[in-house]
Amino acid sequence: MNGTRAATAATWMLGGLVGLCIATMLGLLFFTLGSGLASLRPGTLERITLADGSSRLAEVVADDGNALLLRTSETRRLGEGYERVRRGDVVARRAPVDAFMIGLGDGRRVLGIGDDAALAAAVGSVGALARVVEVLRPNALGAFEGAGIFLRRLARFVATPPDASNLAGGVLPALVGTVTLVLLMSVLVMPFGVAAAVYLHERRGVGARIVRTAIDTLAGVPAIVYGVLGLGLFVHGIGAGIDRWFYADRLPVPTFGGGGLLWAALTLALLTLPVVVVSVEQGLARIPSSLRDGSLALGATREETLWRLLLPAARPAVLTGFVLAIARAAGSVAPLMLVGMVKLAPASPLDGAFPYLHPSRQFMHLGFAVYDAALASPDAIRGVPRAYACAMLLVCVVIVLNLSAILLRNRLRDRYRALES
Amino acid sequence: MPVNPVTCDPLSSSDLLRASARRRYWRGRVQRVLVAAGASFVLLGLFAIPVYLVAAVAASRASAGVDWAHLGLLFAGSLRATACAIAVALPLGFATAMFSAHFCAPRLRAWLKPALEMLEAVPTVVLGLVAATSFAPWLKSHVATLLALLVALPALLLAAGFAFGRPSRHDGWLPLSVLPLLCAIVAFGLWLSSRAQAPWIVPASPWNATLVGLALGVAALPLVFSVAEDALFLVPREQTQAAFALGATRWQALTTVVLPAAGAGLFAAALLGIARCFGETMIVLMASGNTAIGGFDPLIGLRSLGADIALGMPDAAPASAVWRDLLVATLALLASTVLLSLAAGFVRARLQRRLHAGAAA
Amino acid sequence: MSNSVTPAIDGGASVSREQAAGAAPALRTRALSLWYGARRALDAVDLDVPARRITALIGPSGCGKSSLLRCLNRLNDEIEGTRVEGEVRLGEADVYAPDAFVHELRRRVGIVFQRPNPFPLSVHDNVAYGLRLLGIRSRRELDERVEAALKAAALWDEVASRLDDGALGLSLGQQQRLVIARAIAVEPEVLMLDEPASALDPAATLRFEELLHELAGRYTLLLVTHNMQQAARVSDFTAFMHAGRLIEFGDTDALFTNPRERQTEDFITGRYG
Repeated sequence: MNGTRAATAATWMLGGLVGLCIATMLGLLFFTLGSGLASLRPGTLERITLADGSSRLAEVVADDGNALLLRTSETRRLGEGYERVRRGDVVARRAPVDAFMIGLGDGRRVLGIGDDAALAAAVGSVGALARVVEVLRPNALGAFEGAGIFLRRLARFVATPPDASNLAGGVLPALVGTVTLVLLMSVLVMPFGVAAAVYLHERRGVGARIVRTAIDTLAGVPAIVYGVLGLGLFVHGIGAGIDRWFYADRLPVPTFGGGGLLWAALTLALLTLPVVVVSVEQGLARIPSSLRDGSLALGATREETLWRLLLPAARPAVLTGFVLAIARAAGSVAPLMLVGMVKLAPASPLDGAFPYLHPSRQFMHLGFAVYDAALASPDAIRGVPRAYACAMLLVCVVIVLNLSAILLRNRLRDRYRALES
Repeated sequence: MPVNPVTCDPLSSSDLLRASARRRYWRGRVQRVLVAAGASFVLLGLFAIPVYLVAAVAASRASAGVDWAHLGLLFAGSLRATACAIAVALPLGFATAMFSAHFCAPRLRAWLKPALEMLEAVPTVVLGLVAATSFAPWLKSHVATLLALLVALPALLLAAGFAFGRPSRHDGWLPLSVLPLLCAIVAFGLWLSSRAQAPWIVPASPWNATLVGLALGVAALPLVFSVAEDALFLVPREQTQAAFALGATRWQALTTVVLPAAGAGLFAAALLGIARCFGETMIVLMASGNTAIGGFDPLIGLRSLGADIALGMPDAAPASAVWRDLLVATLALLASTVLLSLAAGFVRARLQRRLHAGAAA
Repeated sequence: MSNSVTPAIDGGASVSREQAAGAAPALRTRALSLWYGARRALDAVDLDVPARRITALIGPSGCGKSSLLRCLNRLNDEIEGTRVEGEVRLGEADVYAPDAFVHELRRRVGIVFQRPNPFPLSVHDNVAYGLRLLGIRSRRELDERVEAALKAAALWDEVASRLDDGALGLSLGQQQRLVIARAIAVEPEVLMLDEPASALDPAATLRFEELLHELAGRYTLLLVTHNMQQAARVSDFTAFMHAGRLIEFGDTDALFTNPRERQTEDFITGRYG
């Protein structure tokens, strides 16, 4: 009996550890999403009276138990409104209903209290010098209005470019850069990935074993090593060569000899190759062999069987590989830091001028925007919320992609079950 | 039922057939060559990495020698981060794998696996962000709390299991049913720590190996889980059924039959987890402080091989000694991870052969 | 020329059994042996399959019946480690000639398996699969040939209104007839059937056997079956195999009522199975 109780106890501990796992994961996701959303939510404006009699109209940005971080009105410069006050000094906190906030194009916020006439006057005087982006009374928002403001801020975040300091405005170039990068990478990786998977499916001999070991090894290589290869071999090696032969008149300004979209796409294609190969090969392996036999029995060559029957039947697996490769590429920052990703690209790699896609240009990436906003900015207070907003966007994209991959895989499994029964 | 003859011309009487047979044969040959070429590009890509690195290092004309001391510090830093990380990833990963393969209710497992895949999908930048900006300040003043929780959680769970646990059909849902207890323990621990006036253990810097270890461990957890679970599933069902038939509880079947059989697979999972942690860059870059210090103290910062490469390479001139040193660091990183990977693959293959030798015949 | 395509002889009135005995065999094997690695599956089989007749292949399980079929259309080539010795001739052509086009051979010698294996395509596309391989693109021609094949397989009436529906939605009996339609759409000379009715219920089996009688006028049928009553009902000639060897071959009635070999008699009377 003692053994049984000990066994049960151990089982409980095991279950508890798994619960800890689940909790950590859920906590991480919700924390990231919540922080990201919080940075876009309109916050309450409070009138804070201090012990020395002065008062501030501000938004409470952070509270670490000992002190409050306030953001008061910023009339001249972005970031000048941040102020720390000790908790002990706070005498009273009220949220006046008629407080208003004017958001400007460069991220500054002008705060004030007053009725609509005062608000209009304030907007007029501020708007003469700067672009007014939004005007609202945060303390008087109903639930729907608040949601509307939030959605509009989200839309602006996604659809507009950032300002010069890269600390305010939207992340559109990062999104465009990420999407362009990922698409260019897929064009490079899918043909080779499918070819390698087909090779592994069809052949059994020494060659197949070598390729399989190669794929397994490639899967274990750290991402940064790919970045080094990209920088050393592609950029400084092949890129410099291309510059010498085709763009010599532009030297010493590099065209392909510096980091850019093309080399980044190539590097990521190598990085995500194992993902595609594994996914497609698994898809092919699960097709019952009776189908293959049936096609061969009708007089099809092995290649015709493959291209006309097996690969179309494995289409969900090919799609899964594609989606997983994209998700992996969207989340990889380390290799891209070496091959062409920059914090503020001078020109977008995708624009209206022929040939519309400029693979030699540098680009911005959502993942790097997270890193940059969090650590590389001189002012952590402004950078971190922005970093969380970018992170939230990135996590949403990646989760959606992975969920669709899982759904695709389930559909594939059901389809094969129908075939086998 | 009468048979209707074909109204079109018989196929076989045409030259169309003879010509098409030959054309299809040669088209098949060409396609086969193209596929082999595509697959060989994979080999090309794989070999390009070490060949390029070695060639570039050998061809470097930098006058200074390789800074082995600095490289050693980086290697030690990576090791320290990895050690802290696997202290988190291995227990949690193995526990989850053992539970999922052996105890878990099927409906829960249908959610557990995808959930861990989602965790694996989260970009490491985001993990680094959470660790460096939100978790670091808390950790700085709550190191003792963290340690206490790490010890108390398993201990209290064991005690609770001993006191209240009865083997039941619903053991498969244990993670969920034990969750309230978990939350209670954590909440109590946090409440206790808030009563303390000053932190007992103060780390030298908020960016330290412990912080890195926690974030990195969470990042490596899904990999350890999936490899370990695969290994545990390799054990044939008949063996566990035999143990049950002899009166073993699920836990006893796990420890006496499954773990000894699949132990090598768990070892392989550990190797792969170590390789993953060793090669990870973003989390370490954001949460370690990037200070090249040696030693074993988990509460001071570190600088890993990957972080050094990521920080140094964009600005290094290709002909310089710094560049060459960074290439050597890359080689060290590559060699370590590839060796670990190959070892793990070898172990797994041997496990597969051993456990399914009977079935294959 | 080993790759020559001999024109199919147009289906005429069926020839009586006595007359058929003199016609040239559709398929001939001489000393055919097959190894799966080190295991010998076929031992010097000499078989003449008479043209446009139904020949049944019977024997205990494991005696090599299915392996023999797979040798005749070289499906065994797809399995690693197989080795073949001896000769197989389709008409005048050497099946195992090194420069033979295997895919063309398989068109001329079709096979239907035990479990129906329709492709995950529509009914129409299943039957048109082989035709498209041959380069036929005209929609009208494809439709015509598909209809003719389905009629010949006694399936047209049941699927005429749902040609574009998925083939996997048909019943097992219908699927098996679909597979036959698929095979005869490419106009084979020989159609081999490996226990084709074993997955079907008795009513479907009966209809299937009627279909076989209809097909025999135009194609040479080689039918592997473990059901001796079926062999006796359906076939004109019967071959009995045991442990990889061909023990006896002859007219079905004669073989079942008066077998020459002792082993044949033992098997038929059920002494072993």
